[in-house]
Order: sequence, then structure tokens, then C-alpha cells
Amino acid sequence: MGPRSNSSSLEACLRDVVGADQVLTRLEELFVYEADGLTHHSARPRAVVLPSTTEEVVRVVKACRKHEVPFVPRGAGTGLSGGALALADGVIIECARMNRILRVEPGDRFAVVQPGVVNADLSKAVLQHGLFYAPDPSSQQACTLGGNVAENSGGPHTLKYGTTTNHVLALELVLPDGNVVRLGSPTGWPAGYDLVGAVVGSEGTLGIVTEVTVRLAPIPERTETLLGIFPDVVSACRAVGAIIRSGLVPAAMEIVDRRTIEAVEASVYAAGLPTDAGAVLIMELDGPDVAVGVQAERTQALALAEGANEVQVARDEEERQRFWRARKGAFGAMGRLAPDLYVNDAVVPRRKLPEILEAVCAIGDRHGLRLSNVFHAGDGNLHPNISFDRRDADELARVQKAGAEILRLCVEAGGVISGEHGIGTEKRDYMGLVFSDDDLDAMKKLRAAFDPTLTCNPGKLFPTTRFCFEANPKARGYDQVPLE
Amino acid sequence: MSVLAALRRELGEDRVGSSPGLDGRVFPRSGEELATALRLLAAGEASAIVRGSGSWDALGHPMPRARILLETTGLLGEVEVDAEDGVAHLPAGALVFSLSEHVRKETGGAWELPFDPVSPSSTLGGCLATASPGFCFGHPRDVVLGLEIVLATGERVRCGGRVVKNVTGYDLAKLYLGSLGTLGVIEAAWIRLLPAPEKTGCWWVPAADPSLAVEPARLPSARAAAWLSAGLARELSKPGPGMLLELAGDAAAVAADAEHLVCQNGATASDPTGLGVVRGMRGGDPGGRVRVSARPSQLAESVAGLSRAGAEILAHPARGLFWAFSADEAVFAAAERAGEGFLVEAAPLAIRESRELFGENPELRPLQAAIKAQYDPAGILNPGRFAGRI
Ligand SMILES: Cc1cc2nc3c(=O)[nH]c(=O)nc-3n(C[C@H](O)[C@H](O)[C@H](O)COP(=O)(O)OP(=O)(O)OC[C@H]3O[C@@H](n4cnc5c(N)ncnc54)[C@H](O)[C@@H]3O)c2cc1C
Ligand SMILES: Cc1cc2nc3c(=O)[nH]c(=O)nc-3n(C[C@H](O)[C@H](O)[C@H](O)COP(=O)(O)OP(=O)(O)OC[C@H]3O[C@@H](n4cnc5c(N)ncnc54)[C@H](O)[C@@H]3O)c2cc1C
Repeated sequence: MGPRSNSSSLEACLRDVVGADQVLTRLEELFVYEADGLTHHSARPRAVVLPSTTEEVVRVVKACRKHEVPFVPRGAGTGLSGGALALADGVIIECARMNRILRVEPGDRFAVVQPGVVNADLSKAVLQHGLFYAPDPSSQQACTLGGNVAENSGGPHTLKYGTTTNHVLALELVLPDGNVVRLGSPTGWPAGYDLVGAVVGSEGTLGIVTEVTVRLAPIPERTETLLGIFPDVVSACRAVGAIIRSGLVPAAMEIVDRRTIEAVEASVYAAGLPTDAGAVLIMELDGPDVAVGVQAERTQALALAEGANEVQVARDEEERQRFWRARKGAFGAMGRLAPDLYVNDAVVPRRKLPEILEAVCAIGDRHGLRLSNVFHAGDGNLHPNISFDRRDADELARVQKAGAEILRLCVEAGGVISGEHGIGTEKRDYMGLVFSDDDLDAMKKLRAAFDPTLTCNPGKLFPTTRFCFEANPKARGYDQVPLE
Repeated sequence: MSVLAALRRELGEDRVGSSPGLDGRVFPRSGEELATALRLLAAGEASAIVRGSGSWDALGHPMPRARILLETTGLLGEVEVDAEDGVAHLPAGALVFSLSEHVRKETGGAWELPFDPVSPSSTLGGCLATASPGFCFGHPRDVVLGLEIVLATGERVRCGGRVVKNVTGYDLAKLYLGSLGTLGVIEAAWIRLLPAPEKTGCWWVPAADPSLAVEPARLPSARAAAWLSAGLARELSKPGPGMLLELAGDAAAVAADAEHLVCQNGATASDPTGLGVVRGMRGGDPGGRVRVSARPSQLAESVAGLSRAGAEILAHPARGLFWAFSADEAVFAAAERAGEGFLVEAAPLAIRESRELFGENPELRPLQAAIKAQYDPAGILNPGRFAGRI
């Protein structure tokens, strides 16, 4: 990569390209960009650029290439796998200012948006047409469509609606060489290789997404939300299995375990859940009016048959929101327990959930960690959450050890190491648990076709020792940083 | 030593044979044998036509450079149906019809395999490699969880997996699906099954133009919807253009949608055997057929234009797709302008030789070619068949 002495000319060049107020280079400005949602991985960018148009992105990319400096696309920085870190002294290209909804075509059920549009804002904007954008990550109030595309984000409702990849029809992409291409089409049936499919979920390594065409879905006629209260998490998992086996496809099935319930109930997110319950299972069904009522009754009966103490049916929107508050407030509530939260993300075949959960809790206990679970049970997508303090090097080491053990356990059960947060820097060295070297080489071929010089977001996704990031917080001076 | 001799030596006499017009034919019976075959082909720079059961041999550009037929129907490895999770691991060489039957039996009728190919001889690998939309089920990309592939260089690789949600690494399955076997040969796949519907019903909805069929085709339980121009409707003994529509799902939802169809759209109950006739329309030998993707709001105009040019039309109104049946170059040229993308699925040889059959964006050629060069550096898999003749 370019020698540091080039820096002044690169930065001057960037200021020329986008204007001085859209280039951040001062230490205190860059500090914000040292990490994404995975706080214990960090790297200081050389500069941060905030383009407003595709044209500006192109010019920024060309400037970086000219100076042989890598660049990293970034949205809102809510990623949980270290995907938006600028390794190797790279430049961050933050797309948050490209936040316009360019076009909504209600009759054809699609919208064209810039990558910085916040996920929840899109659904709000199309509500008037009776439509919504289905993928709903729990971070949807903050995360951007560009980040969603890069991570192939999921959310509570992917059980029925699928992840981001099922809803992206076309993309405009600035290739790592600065050329602009349009992939896919608003009808979703292009001939040729499915490049949209290949780019979604590629974690910002194949180029910078500057426009996204997404499919919109009609708002369901009716939604029923049920809250099953279970004596333990294992019976809640069994209920999930029984419901799916019966051929029902609920819109969402989310489990919140006892440890999380306790934290939520002691916080501002309190939802009136019984703190002596072993777990609660939120079950949401949506669709045509006539079908949903029957499905809700069947779901309720199955949950009771699998040992639920009680199944409440939301009587109105307010109560429905209360049920969801327990789920959606979980991350916030964890903030009370410790300064940092490590959110693991792995997937197992659904029927393995009961045994895996027991084993996951045992791993946390063995390492003396505060581990709790809130997860997308219908998809078999676990989120063991570990509350910790990154300033405690020993605790951090135990968190990382426990995290690795959990991943290994899930892979042995037939699962994978990420269901929605991606690999980033966090899990790149665990890719070998799932894939052989040949499998990884096949992925690298795709990378090489888009980015032969590996300039776009290097050091992510693939196992590597070439780029090292600093995982020891003391070495970066975090122990001196106030936690507020 | 010739490639054929090497294949005979490594795989055995019974795996290698002759094929009219080509140097020979190889018939691997396992992933290992397939890997060996591809390694030998690559080493000898011998190009191959990859073929399942050959029901769609005529798809794509002709391949004068191909020397060997590589048949995949011997790839009949492990079958696993997980009724609890609603997923199945299925071998690429198996016939979709028998796999569907197997899934139905293994799951006690609870789940179904989401493929409905036209030909009883279609292999799973062929359906995945063409990624052609079915009548009842949409794009295979939504149901493929993982693939096992042998690359052109002979490496056996995997992508995805058996779980229903997965962002571990690049989603290479999307790249391989619909790539017509130009990047690798599919050995097996993990497929997400769909719950079998409680009830199905078949309806005829008269509609003079396809845009009138969009609303009923979007009903929640509408699973298969095909609008037919007058000439095709006659094959179902229907008096004029209209839509054959299958409702499937919860009994209550099907009943409610059926009532809506009758009251709002003047639908009449129809004989379900019509579904088979419509499915067959895409499989016969029409002389020529082009697939056009058009937005629902463009349908009426696009279809009218091609009808005027003399084509009969079959449309999936809600999916934004239609097919124009004609062997006339003028129709293909009109199709190119009619929507947002096209694929000439069948055409007289002269046309297949002379015109671009895949309506992909020409600005993507360098990228498509770079991908092909990465995965098949020697250009041995279906050389020249795909978009841009790569
Ligand atoms: C509380 C909380 C809850 C969460 N819940 C969920 C959840 O339910 N489901 C889920 O899937 N995720 C969840 N996440 C993770 C995160 O929100 C998602 O991964 C999200 O998609 C990231 O979007 P972002 O805009 O913040 O992207 P960033 O974090 O800024 O970037 C993420 C990745 O996308 C790339 N990228 C960003 N913009 C572009 C672009 N324009 N072009 C190319 N690449 C780009 C970056 O390089 C990086 O690799 C959660 C995170 C938090 C903090
Ligand atoms: C007219 C028509 C209509 C169709 N309609 C539908 C439909 O409604 N629904 C549906 O699901 N399908 C449909 N198809 C797709 C069709 O069923 C399959 O594409 C085809 O029949 C696959 O079967 P095959 O084994 O005969 O493939 P072939 O005709 O032998 O091969 C087709 C293509 O797939 C490649 N290929 C075959 N096997 C493999 C493999 N294992 N790995 C990599 N590449 C491979 C070949 O190289 C070739 O490019 C239709 C096909 C036709 C011709």
C-alpha cells in the first residue's frame, strides 16, 4: 500500500473531489469511525469521505486507486462483524449522505433508493401505498439499505419473507476500478449471471453500492401476535419445531430466554413478562384475514401441547407492541448489565435448537460469563449475547474463547457461523470450520473477477494473517477512554 | 494420450462411450468421478457439453468447439429428506419427478419440492443450471440453500449449507444458478421444501389483455397464473384470451380468493388438467420462443406489440414475465425492445448462430467474461453457449 508520505496529496485530492467539508481527517473526527457495532475490533481510518452522488463515489475510488490506498464502504456503522473497519490504513467511504428515495412504483411494487436510506424510513415512505419493505433487522431504525445489501441482513420476519437477497432486484455498483455497472432489473429476471445475487451478502468487498432497487410487498390484511410463556427454553424450542412441522409458516418466531427477560424487566423496556418464566416465544402470523385466524388457533394449540404455561393473544396494536418490546428492547436492556455486549450469530438446523441451547448456556457458565439468548428460533438462528467489559483483558479473552466454542458447536450440529451479521473481521479466521480451502478459493475467484487488486475492503471475510487488527483494547488506549 | 483414452483408463470403459457428431461421451457416476473427468478434460483442453437429460439441448448459442458430451444423469448420490426442518439434500442427476414423489412420500405429504419442470425427464441439475421459472413455483434462487459443485478445474466445492438462513461467505449458489453449467457442474443441492397446500383449485378468468390479469394473479393464494392469448386459449377450448389460475393454500384462504375471483373477475371453475396443457406449451417444439421480462404495468403494451407482430403469448402477469411464440427474427428483435430483458429460449439454428440470445446488459460483458475466466480458465464447459458467447 502507498507510503504514508503520500497522505497529504491523497487528502488534497479527496478534498478536490468532494469538497473539504466532506472529508474528515482530524484524529477526533476519525475516532468515531474506528469501530462498527463490534466494539472490540478497531482500526483507525486514514480519512473518511462523505460523498453525495455516484459521481463523487467514482472520483473518490479513482483517487484512492491512484494513491494505492484501499477503501471501505460504510453505511451507519451498525454492523456486528467488523465489516466497515478500514484496515491497512484505508479510506472510509461513508454513504450515509446518499439517503434519498429516488422513485417508488407502487403498481409494479418496487422502489429505487440510494444506499444511505435508513431501512425503517423506506417502509414509512411506502406505507401510503399499502406496501412495505420486508427485511427488518432489529437495527432498522439506524442501519442503511447499503449495509443491508452488503450483509444480506435478516430480521425477525425472515422466516416467512426471506433475507435481503430475496428483495433486491437491481443494483448500481461502483466497481473497485471506478467503473459503474447496473446489475439486475426491476423485473428481477435478467439473463446472464445473477450478479445481484452474488453481490448481496458480499460484505462490501465487490464494490460500492450506490443505488438499490428493492421489491415492496403488500401489507398483510391481518396480523396476529401470540406470546407463549414456557417453563424453560427447551420446551419453547420444541414448540417451534412442532409448529413448523405442521406446515405453518409464521411470519416470525422469536425466543427470549429467562436471563434476557430478567434484564428487560429491570429496564425501561419492561414489557410485563413473568420473570419466573423460563422463556417466552413470540409468534406472529400474517396474511389473508380468513386464514390467519385459523392459523393462530392452530399455533396456540401446538404451543400449549408442547408445554407452554400460557399463550396470550395480542388484543390490539398496543399489546402487540408490548410483546415485541421484550424482543426489540433486549439489546438496549443489556446495556444495563455491562459496558459491552458481544452478540454471537450462528445457525443450526431447527430441530437441534433444544440441545444446542443447553450446550451454549453451559459454555457461558463454564467461562464465568453473563450469557443470555434472544434469537430467531424459526430460522434456527441463535444470538447468544455476552455482556462484558472490554477493559478487562481477561474477560475479553474468555468472551472470545466462548464465542469460538459456540461456533464450533453449531458447525458440528450441521450449522454455519453466521446467519445475518456476516463474517467481517470477527469470524474470518473461523471460515475454515465451515469451508475447505478449495471452497474458499472458489469464493476468492468471484472476488478476483470484481477486484483483482483487492483494493475494496481488504482483510474481510477470508482467513488471513496479512492484515492484522488490534484486538487488545489496552494497546489502543481504550482503557483511558471514558465509557459514556 | 488422448483425453478419451485417459478418461477410459481413469474411470473405466463403461463410463466412456461415443456420441454422434462429437469425439465421445463421458458418464461419471459420482462426484469423485466427475472431478476426475473434469480434471482430465481441463488438462487436455477438451471442451464439453454438459447435459442432464437433454430436454433443453437447444438452449443457448450453438457450441461448435465442444468435443465431448458430459452426462450428469449418473450423479445419483445421497438423498436426505429432513421432514422436521423442511429441507432436503438431493443429487443433481436425479429426475425431478421422482424426487418430488420421494419428498412427498418421506414427509407424509406435508412438504413438497418446489420445482415443476415441463419435461418428465428433467434432472434437478438441469433445472438449477437453467433456473427457469416454473408455472407454480418462482425462481429456484429462493429455495436453494446450498450447492455442491465440481469446478471446471476439477475441485469439488461447496457453498451455502443445509440451514435456512446463512450469510457465511459469498452466496455463490446464486452465481451458479442459471449459469447453464458454464462455471461448474452441479453435483447435489440442499433445497428448502415448501409446505404442501391444504387445498387447491383451478379457475379460468376471462381477460382481454394481460394487465387485467395482474390483480387476480396477485391474490394471496394464487400459486400459478398463466394468461393466454386467443390462439393458445383455444388449446384449452376457451373462447378467447384469459387466464388459467391455480389457487393453493389454506382451505379458508382458497375459498375466499375463489369467491373474489367469481364476483370481481367473472371467473369460472376450470378443469385442473388444463395446468398440464399450459405447462406443456413451454415444452413443445414451437419453432421459436422468447422470454421477455416486463413490469406488470408494461405488460399490456409489450404483449400487444408482439401479438401484432404475429406471436402467440403466454404470460405470468404477477411475475412480470411473458413468452412470445414465434420463429420470426422480427419478433425476437421486437422482444428485445419490449421489456427490460429477454432470453431467446428456442429458435431456428440460423438465428441461434447469428444473433445474441441473452438480453443481458452489454456493459456487463467484461465482468461476465472475467467471472467465466476465473471459474473456467480453459473455457471447457459449454464453450460459447452462454450470454455474450462466453
Ligand atoms: C442492535 C443491533 C441489532 C441488529 N439486528 C440485526 C438483525 O436483526 N439482523 C441483521 O441482519 N443484522 C442486525 N444487526 C447488524 C447490522 O445492523 C446490519 O448488518 C446492517 O445491515 C448494517 O448496516 P449499516 O448501514 O450499519 O452498515 P455498516 O455497519 O456501516 O457496514 C456493514 C457492511 O456493509 C458494507 N457496506 C455499507 N454500505 C455499503 C455500500 N453502500 N456498498 C457496499 N458495501 C457497503 C460495509 O463495508 C460493511 O462491510 C444489528 C445491529 C445492531 C447494533
Ligand atoms: C420449454 C421449457 C420450459 C421449461 N419450463 C420450466 C418450468 O416451468 N419449471 C422449471 O423448473 N423448469 C422449466 N424448464 C427447465 C427445464 O425443466 C430444465 O431446464 C431442463 O429440462 C433440465 O433438465 P435436463 O436435465 O434435461 O437439462 P439439459 O437440457 O440436459 O440441460 C440444460 C442446461 O443445464 C445444464 N446442466 C444440466 N445439468 C447440469 C448440472 N448437473 N450441472 C451444471 N449444469 C447442468 C446444461 O449444460 C444445459 O446448459 C423448462 C425447460 C424447457 C425446455
